[in-house]
Amino acid sequence: MLKYKKKIEGKYIAIIIFILILVILAIYGKTLKEERKLNFFESIIKDSFVFCEKIVNAPFKFVSNTIDDFRNLKDIQKENDILKENIDKIGAIEAENIELKNQIEALKKELNIDYVLTDYEQINATVVSRNVGYWYNTLTIDKGSKNDIEEGMVVINAIGLIGKVIKVSAYSSEVRLITTSDTNNKISVSISNGQNKINGLINGYNYDSNLLEVEGISNTEEVNVGDTVYTSGLGGVFPSGILIGKVVNITTDEYDLAKIINVEPSVSFNDINYVSILKRKDTE
Amino acid sequence: MGFIVIVLIISFLCDSIFSNFLAFSLINPSIFKTICTLVSLVSVYPYFNNNRKYLIIIIIFGLLFDIVYSSTFLFITFIFVIIYFINKVVDLYLPYNMININIISVLSIILYHLISFFILNLVNYNTYSLSILLKCIYTSILGTVLYTTILFFILKFFEKKGVLKKVK
Repeated sequence: MLKYKKKIEGKYIAIIIFILILVILAIYGKTLKEERKLNFFESIIKDSFVFCEKIVNAPFKFVSNTIDDFRNLKDIQKENDILKENIDKIGAIEAENIELKNQIEALKKELNIDYVLTDYEQINATVVSRNVGYWYNTLTIDKGSKNDIEEGMVVINAIGLIGKVIKVSAYSSEVRLITTSDTNNKISVSISNGQNKINGLINGYNYDSNLLEVEGISNTEEVNVGDTVYTSGLGGVFPSGILIGKVVNITTDEYDLAKIINVEPSVSFNDINYVSILKRKDTE
Repeated sequence: MGFIVIVLIISFLCDSIFSNFLAFSLINPSIFKTICTLVSLVSVYPYFNNNRKYLIIIIIFGLLFDIVYSSTFLFITFIFVIIYFINKVVDLYLPYNMININIISVLSIILYHLISFFILNLVNYNTYSLSILLKCIYTSILGTVLYTTILFFILKFFEKKGVLKKVK
């Protein structure tokens, strides 16, 4: 009788544990979503620590920047000569720039395009920390809603696309890198060799080869190694014309119908210290 | 207690510094990477006679880690608490010395990666392959052993000086 009772109790415990696990997973399924907004207390704690981190990181950043400066010293004469040459060309470049702006406006009207890269202003920010848990690659930057940062804004640096803002508090924001393998947030891209332009989607990031995977391109389309990949502007999240990388490898899917294109990102995601957030000029 | 909290806060900030300057990410995991907060929580465990106070410390730092470094809610806290219970059992069989504390630290880091991997895969949030998980684990062993050993000597030094006393 006692044995039977113990057996039933054991069954109940197993059921309770099973239900508990399900409840925990359901809670995580909801709270781990990027759309979850930080509450008031979370924002305050996060902002306070971002401030502390900036102070703590300052001397390390100073040392790191000084080392980089010394490394760059050997190339300074060469860079100076190039810059001197470019200064002479500035007048011509400015005139060309005005002409190109006019052409862009005319083309926008003709093609019915709403926004291109020139319609955005850049807000510069410093990277405070990386996600320590690192299973989803995110960066914390030192600009937040007080600096007009909003969720969904695109983050770039001088070399190319970095990601987009996913969480915002008053004085800090979190940026999700494009290297995050999230099939729910595909980026529409264009592949160009100067003559042809083919559209595709970034399917994810291959952590083994350190390459982005682009899909949705028919096997009949011509893509070559070395072609440039940049945002197409389709989908409305990323403006067109932001550099992503170069094609390094082309394979086909298992049915031999579509191309799988491996792209080497132009940005080194291990070394991001400063970023720019794109803000549409007409949202002011 | 005050000294232990200072050690934990420094370790917590070290996570930010190391992540920035050793540039470790899933793409290029550095062999020196570790989770300093977790290692320090494991390292200070022998200095607690009061398990309730230790559990409160675990929960506070878990919550901070959740908010500051992961922007998650109770996710890391939950993992830290599970690790606490497992380490409590392991601690019964392993007496306190440098080798054993290193073993518990490495075990905790492995558990952290394993639990987060399984939960994130179960809720289908940004999944990554088993090979990446293994890479994460083996690349964090050296960093964990280094940080645990450094902390062990620091704690021993301050214990001898009389600054660090057991928490009752």
